[in-house]
Amino acid sequence: MAYNMGFWAFLRRDLQLINRRRGEVASPLIFFIMAATFVPLGITPDSELLKNIAPGIIWVMALLATLLSADSLFASDYHDGSLEQMIISPQLLVMPVLGKVTAHWLTTGLPLTLASPVLGLLLSLPTAGYLPMMAGLAVGTGCLSLLAALGAALTVSLQKGGLLLTLIVMPLYMPVIIFGSATAQYSIQGLAWGGPLAVLGAMLAIAIALCPLAIASVLRLTTIN
Amino acid sequence: MNFQFDTVSQLLNMAGHGIYVWTAVLVTLALVAWLIINPLLQRRDVFKEIAQEVSREQLRQHANRESV
Amino acid sequence: MNWNWFYRMGSPRWFYESTSRWLPWLGTLTFVLLAVGLVWGLAFAPQDAKQGNSFRIIYLHVPASFLALAGYFLMATAGAIGLIWKMKLSYMVMKCAAPLGAVLTFLALFTGAVWGKPTWGSYWVWDARVTSMLILLFLYMGVLALQYAFDSKDVGNKASAILALVGTVNIPIIYKSVDWWFTLHQPATISFTEAPSMHPDMFQPLLVMILGFYCFYAVALILSVRVEILNRERKTGWVRNLVKQSTDKSLGAEL
Repeated sequence: MAYNMGFWAFLRRDLQLINRRRGEVASPLIFFIMAATFVPLGITPDSELLKNIAPGIIWVMALLATLLSADSLFASDYHDGSLEQMIISPQLLVMPVLGKVTAHWLTTGLPLTLASPVLGLLLSLPTAGYLPMMAGLAVGTGCLSLLAALGAALTVSLQKGGLLLTLIVMPLYMPVIIFGSATAQYSIQGLAWGGPLAVLGAMLAIAIALCPLAIASVLRLTTIN
Repeated sequence: MNFQFDTVSQLLNMAGHGIYVWTAVLVTLALVAWLIINPLLQRRDVFKEIAQEVSREQLRQHANRESV
Repeated sequence: MNWNWFYRMGSPRWFYESTSRWLPWLGTLTFVLLAVGLVWGLAFAPQDAKQGNSFRIIYLHVPASFLALAGYFLMATAGAIGLIWKMKLSYMVMKCAAPLGAVLTFLALFTGAVWGKPTWGSYWVWDARVTSMLILLFLYMGVLALQYAFDSKDVGNKASAILALVGTVNIPIIYKSVDWWFTLHQPATISFTEAPSMHPDMFQPLLVMILGFYCFYAVALILSVRVEILNRERKTGWVRNLVKQSTDKSLGAEL
């Protein structure tokens, strides 16, 4: 059996499904940009102050936007029974899981990463910060998607799962935001930003290795019962 | 090792830090006590519930026997 | 190798009956240790050269923090044992360890805040240890919330166990990250996390308090687990007999 059994098929499937509800996908992105507008409105438009907190704000908004879209990761498949089919079929459950998470990242994390320069502009991010910010977001949102999928799997069978999902996943997000924000901040301060980025990469590697296993066992638990 | 304070009022005051230290002590003792007392109270309630269930079942059995 | 002792430990009845025998002794020991440690620390230990008397809060704060962290690992281990060996008793331990640990984490944060005001001038400070403890509280709250979210107790137990394990993997990562983050942002003038190298006169009561808190944790946990056992096993013969004996005793006392 090929080890990537089903991964591409599920990736393609989820992308097709998401394509049919394109409006839903745009919401996290629009939220991302709009919410970043709240900061100058609520705190200060002074660009001297903004540029100090810009990386952090962008990361917090990315985090919140990912959490917003996490709920729908497994929801529709759970409700129409396809999730059960995936679980009882003979292939490894991690394949559909990885496919779905990748599709989620491609439609949430990646657009956020590509849209972040716009936010950088709005929040007076110094020029040195743009590339590291995008690099950090690209890697970090991968972690965010994997952890969000774990939360989604735990709460998929619950009625009001959304808020509980947020509560569960937030502590796990904290290391990601620390190093993600540091990537941009290091570059702005003139330090080598490869360091925090490497740590982010390590976190992503661990997450890719371990999360799908945890997600698969949780899905078996919450769906079949 | 000797007693650090000369009078009780000094003990309470602790050179100005008294309110902080004693607040911490009181909150800690209160929570510790509650964490031990709460299960004990729950146990008593469970006992009462089970005793009620048992007596209810016995009454039902009595009633069934007599109605036969 | 004979593993019977391990499987016997998984019997709720065995747990209840054997703890009935020695729990009062452990409770007395707890009380003695805490009383001695507290009096020693509050009244007999010398005050700190820099912090004065407010440093005495250490006798509450440090034991609470130790137990908060140790309690999380105990909860996760109990969850793991439940998942691997499908031992219901282990799930009960995990379930009871969650609120206990959460309260202790809150206590650690509270005593730390109260300590912080006279020492560093403010109740809250985003230093590495405080922030890590706050995140630990969030982890506990997540496990607690998940336990009660499911209709089926079985699913709730297993889901909480998995979440607790994920949290365990994360705790070292979180601690390291927060530590690194703090050294990045630490104001150069003040050092918050400098652990005082302690004089034995100050350290000995701390040891007593730490031991006392460990015993207290054991007592509180065992008491909760016993209630959980009674609840779950209420239809069994041995529980009914137990209740009957105690009601007979109390009726006898009335007569």
